[in-house]
Amino acid sequence: MKQKILIVPCSGIGKSYGSVAREAAYRVTEDLCPEKTKLVPLALLVLGGEEARSELGEAKAITIDGCKHACAAKVVAESGGTVANAVDVPEVFRRHRHLKPSGIAELDENGKKLAQVLAEEIRELVGSAVGEDRHA
Amino acid sequence: MPSERTAMPELPKRKVGIIACSGEEIAEGTVTRLAALRVLESLRPHETVTICLPLFLAGGEGDRAFARFHPTIAVDGCEKRCAARGTEMYSGKPAVSIVVNGDRSKDSSLLGTARRLTEVGMQVVDDVAGQIVRHVDQLLDLKRGRQTGPPTAGLEILQERAPRQAACSCGSGIPVATLQVAGREVTLLALPLIFAEFHEAGKLPDESVRNELMQAVKIYNSIPDADEAAYAHAVIQEYVAFCRENH
Repeated sequence: MKQKILIVPCSGIGKSYGSVAREAAYRVTEDLCPEKTKLVPLALLVLGGEEARSELGEAKAITIDGCKHACAAKVVAESGGTVANAVDVPEVFRRHRHLKPSGIAELDENGKKLAQVLAEEIRELVGSAVGEDRHA
Repeated sequence: MPSERTAMPELPKRKVGIIACSGEEIAEGTVTRLAALRVLESLRPHETVTICLPLFLAGGEGDRAFARFHPTIAVDGCEKRCAARGTEMYSGKPAVSIVVNGDRSKDSSLLGTARRLTEVGMQVVDDVAGQIVRHVDQLLDLKRGRQTGPPTAGLEILQERAPRQAACSCGSGIPVATLQVAGREVTLLALPLIFAEFHEAGKLPDESVRNELMQAVKIYNSIPDADEAAYAHAVIQEYVAFCRENH
């Protein structure tokens, strides 16, 4: 069986963009491409060590970050993982300014729509990552 | 005779830090996130602050100083205790560690999924938020007259406050400065603020302020006795440079 693409959202808890990252990750891994992707909790990688490395394995990861600190991308890289794509929620928002999200515990409608836009973009990235493997 | 007072720089207000694992894979992870947010946004908005767990690794020294400055409550969704262990590893030992459903009193499958909690799951969110609030009050020694009541008793009163966004510390960590002390690099918490306070008070960078400066530095930093003279020398040199730059 082909190796799954790992989806690693940031754990952003203080801003709506963090919730958008989390929601988009669920939409990708549960709704859009469950067979090709696997959600990896970032908290587990923070501890580093063998557990994190085995979680990342040889697979490619797509990280989703909600702020400039880019915790997901940095932590995956520091844990020895391969970041195939680093997606930045504010950057996606800048291309869809009419979808300004609000709410953290519960995203508003704009937040959910932005998460869907993001999830669809990530689906394309997953397709490319899988395709690259096929032609390698 | 007037008593000598140590200058206390005006640092960010000391609050209780709440660090949730936010584990995206399991329902208990979502419980940690929602319980933390409930405390931060509604139940104790003025007494609590948060930081994303991964920022300890991805951020700077100011972010890593978070748990050394704020007493913290780690809230984990499983026995791996990523939040508690990660906080201790990179920042400081949490004052309290809570594991959701740690006593297995609820069947995990009844909580719902990571994406959507059931009514039972939301009840666990209430319970965990209540536990966090009790610990916050104990850590800050708040006298609200409800410590003897059930975990959530009296919380409704505070919920009347206007909800707000969770106070997030990312990008606003504790100010730090890095100095060379006896040939090695050390990072001191709050030093820029201490300097600013002394400078504003018109205290000149000479030997007469050395002791007072070091007393202020020691409030926020652990200075080994054996190295105190070397630290004092480095701090006073840095203060000379600070005063020159801000002349």
